[in-house]
Amino acid sequence: MVDLEQYLPILIFLFVAAALSALFVFLPMGVSRLTGAHKPDAEKLSEYECGFPAFEDPRSQFDVKFYLVAISFLLFDLEASFLFPWAVSLEYTGWTGWSAMVIFLGILAVGLAYEWKMGALDWQ
Amino acid sequence: MIQTLAFYLFAALVIASAVMVIMARNPVHSVLWLILAFFNAAGLMVLVGAEFIAALLLIVYVGAVAVLFLFVVMMLDIDFAELRAGFVKNFPLGIAIALVLAAELIFGIGAYQAGQLELGVASGVAAPALDASNTASIGAVLYRDYVFLFEAAGIILLVAMVGAIVLTHRRTENARGQQDISRQVRRNPDEATVMKQPEVGRGVDL
Amino acid sequence: MIGIEHYIVVSAILFVLGVLGIFLNRKNIIVILMAIELILLSVNLQLVAFSAFLGDLVGQVFAMFVLTVAAGEAAVGLAILVIYFRGRGTIAVDDVDRLKG
Repeated sequence: MVDLEQYLPILIFLFVAAALSALFVFLPMGVSRLTGAHKPDAEKLSEYECGFPAFEDPRSQFDVKFYLVAISFLLFDLEASFLFPWAVSLEYTGWTGWSAMVIFLGILAVGLAYEWKMGALDWQ
Repeated sequence: MIQTLAFYLFAALVIASAVMVIMARNPVHSVLWLILAFFNAAGLMVLVGAEFIAALLLIVYVGAVAVLFLFVVMMLDIDFAELRAGFVKNFPLGIAIALVLAAELIFGIGAYQAGQLELGVASGVAAPALDASNTASIGAVLYRDYVFLFEAAGIILLVAMVGAIVLTHRRTENARGQQDISRQVRRNPDEATVMKQPEVGRGVDL
Repeated sequence: MIGIEHYIVVSAILFVLGVLGIFLNRKNIIVILMAIELILLSVNLQLVAFSAFLGDLVGQVFAMFVLTVAAGEAAVGLAILVIYFRGRGTIAVDDVDRLKG
């Protein structure tokens, strides 16, 4: 098993981050609960849309454009994640690794060019 | 001690959230439980020293794949209650098959013997670059011994990109026409404007 | 002490849960795709665990390739789902019985 002590700073950071974000969320709630009047009833809690009942589902649909952007992000994200081990191991892999990565980037540049050509990157 | 504790914590959470993924009524909740499952699986990987794969799991799965699933769930207006129709009916059969499969796998593990393999202690670093970090060692193996597989991975990404665009992208012609920025920039006064000196009382022919 | 057996059991349970998810939600393609992601996750966990306990990094390299294929599969699978929904207005698996779009 790995020595977990090296992750202690990350754990402390996580605790601090969780505590701070919990503070930012719950402190205003607590303060408003303590200082303001709190008398909910059914009418107050119902959703308000200019005086009439809501027409449609509050979960509005997304456009397909977002999906294309998300796919491009996913694939280029993976491409970028292949760059990390390449960048730190160049001293072991030398020119072989370098040229392999250039070919890889070339393949994905073809994909980027295709996206561009098809207009998938346009936001119209 | 702390490793054992952490292992059982992560393992219990990953299994519990996997159960919730397949049991949740609302697919949005399924996606969120899937994210929790990935987080805990990444924790399990960190415990054996595979830091880079753990980070990659968070970057790729939580950062991109889960977001893609969320997009799709929210993009499509689906009556999910109707899709759950066969849930109760399939439950006994599904559980039976799952139990049989689990029993087979567990028996297989029970009968498993390491044979020729030397099972060492998980340290997180191995073969080519013993003094280097996990990430650098992975890079050394990946870009020296598995170069062609790596290029094949690039082609898989390219195919996925092209496939997704071919399937979902619809070219919508803008009512006002496509804006071509390079054409706008290329314009010069000579071809865009005409100098005219109309005589008094006569119009201009354009 | 945590050995390889613990990791094998965890990923076996994850694998079985993924298969069970396909059985239970056999009408809802989105949850089926998520169950497939669970199965791939269990495979990745297995590869990484063996790689760590054998002291051989090839398992982790292959986990990266599995991750790549899983991402491509999710992208194309969800794209098929989106155009299917666009043409049919439902994603029920039972209705996929016409070859014509």
